[in-house]
Amino acid sequence: MTPAIETVNLTRRYGRMVALDHLNLTVARGSIYGFIGPNGAGKTTTLRLLAGLIEPTSGEVRLMGQRLIPGGGQRLVGYMPDFFGVYDDLRVWEYLDFFARCYGLEAARRRRTVDELLNLVDLADRRNAYVQSLSRGMQQRLCLAHALVHDPPVLLLDEPASGLDPRARVELRELLRTLRDMGKTVLVSSHILSELAEVCNEIGIIDSGKMIVSGPVETVRRQLEGSARLRIRVLRGLETARALLQRVAATPEEGLPRLRGVRADPSDEAVVLVEVEESDEERQAALLTRLVQAGVVVSEFRAQAENLEELFLRLTAAE
Amino acid sequence: MRGIRLQRPQINPIIVREARTRMRGARPYVVLTVFLALLALAGVGIFQLMAQQARFGGVLLSAQVGQGLFKGLAFVELLLVVFLAPAMTSGAISGEREGLTYDMLMATPLRPEQVLWGKLVAALSYLFVLIFAAVPVFSVVFVFGGVEPMALLKALALLVMTTIFFGTLGLFCSALLQRTTRATVVAYALVLLLLGVPLLLATVWGQFSTPPGQAPPPPLVYLQPFSALTAITTITPSADQAMNFFGYGDPLSGLPFLTLLWPGVIHYGPAGPVVVPVYRATLIFYGLLTVLLSWATAHLMGPGRRWRPRRSDLGFVLLLLVIGLAAYVWRDWWHVAPPRMG
Repeated sequence: MTPAIETVNLTRRYGRMVALDHLNLTVARGSIYGFIGPNGAGKTTTLRLLAGLIEPTSGEVRLMGQRLIPGGGQRLVGYMPDFFGVYDDLRVWEYLDFFARCYGLEAARRRRTVDELLNLVDLADRRNAYVQSLSRGMQQRLCLAHALVHDPPVLLLDEPASGLDPRARVELRELLRTLRDMGKTVLVSSHILSELAEVCNEIGIIDSGKMIVSGPVETVRRQLEGSARLRIRVLRGLETARALLQRVAATPEEGLPRLRGVRADPSDEAVVLVEVEESDEERQAALLTRLVQAGVVVSEFRAQAENLEELFLRLTAAE
Repeated sequence: MRGIRLQRPQINPIIVREARTRMRGARPYVVLTVFLALLALAGVGIFQLMAQQARFGGVLLSAQVGQGLFKGLAFVELLLVVFLAPAMTSGAISGEREGLTYDMLMATPLRPEQVLWGKLVAALSYLFVLIFAAVPVFSVVFVFGGVEPMALLKALALLVMTTIFFGTLGLFCSALLQRTTRATVVAYALVLLLLGVPLLLATVWGQFSTPPGQAPPPPLVYLQPFSALTAITTITPSADQAMNFFGYGDPLSGLPFLTLLWPGVIHYGPAGPVVVPVYRATLIFYGLLTVLLSWATAHLMGPGRRWRPRRSDLGFVLLLLVIGLAAYVWRDWWHVAPPRMG
């Protein structure tokens, strides 16, 4: 099956500045793709290119297998910009009706679509309110609804969670899951990874206009995990444990993992965090045995995966 | 491809949206009331001025009152329209950018030409409401007589065309400059240039012409809407019109502001003063410029590579050709040479 979104060497320059540098992006149909990067990484430029709002300097975009002609792919995508406005003096239902008209929906279909979308984004009880009177979260949901009026297979959401309170963020995540269940392909950008980590099944990390890594969340995590971290909670014999671990770190031993660093956990003084070079469970078990043999009473011994947030920070900082 | 079967929009959505929002709140009604009140006040003022002249012993015919009212009201209305039209449109495109709705609009299948057309019609329809709401005020003229209905229709046509042209000018500035404040300032600067420069040149023409004292050529004031209106509203020019401070034939003739509009319009031939119908050329040139400005605005609104030819350009070219061809075929109608002295 052809991917929902595909970019081939997509490049966009603004004068001398390269905003996007040979971006190759593939998003499978029906997935929620988290497009993550720090501010100015090229996320909005990518989304505007995918929405056909700007033309690429070189490269091409394919949506649902069709090559995108700038200004011609609007029926395939629903686009929600990072900063959006609302038309003053327009009621909520009129706002959606306006965009439905822009897509040429005939009257009966338009009325039905407006009702369905208001229910979907939980604004049915505010249908006659003026849009400027809605809260930020409600306006965000309304803007998302506007991107759905023509039932597009692909949704491009640029920083949809920015400025939302925690409750509204949870509601937005629920909404994204609903959209996935409806079969939509959603590309959602954010500079805050934790916003997306829970809902996305694919992520891509972009920095300085270049894609650093892209793919399913777990694959990306594994790709990036060159090392692992062990969390060891010591009930008795903390000094002995630290001394033993420091010795192993200084002088690697056969059968034990190679330790890159040993440090205390600032949040729990009974915990020792150990950076190991590989995630070999046999060697980790051997290390636990050595600790026990040395008389250390261990209440917790587990590999602590580096979370996506840390991976993101490490990657983008390295760039 | 997933998705529903869609049809082309039947009614321009921009017009529908503007129609819904334009008349909401007190502002549009306040503007309409002030507009009509100003016009009515101008009518009363003109009538009082003429009545005052009659009190000084002159003979004032009812028809002269009608003609004076017609001229005065038409000038006031044109003045209001000339300054309101750019104000109504100079924020139409830039307002979408500033209001952060531009991208959302451009992400829909609406073509820039459709957005442009919708914006223009939406903004100008309110001005047309003002113009047509003033028709009952104008009808007072018929109580006094002296003005043919055709003259009223000509004035109305000029008002409508001027509104469209100055509205398009505002829209062009809005698309070009992307900020409403800048667009409004530049639009008004252009309006003042269009109004002031031809008048200034026409006024000083005689002093720099060879031999000195020549009347300015009518093309100098083709783009000046007030000169065009002078051509429509001057029913019977008198030989000493320009010299009269309070002429009974036209009580407004003595006002310095209005005498500035005569050069290029009223010419003096062997058989006396003749009004050159420059308004015909004004209508044609406003039509041509409106199409040109609309074409440029549509390109300014498009995504990237703005000046790359598009299919819609054919429509603009066709329209230009039609107007150009009509202007050529009927050139004797609008290109009227003024009479020669001696």
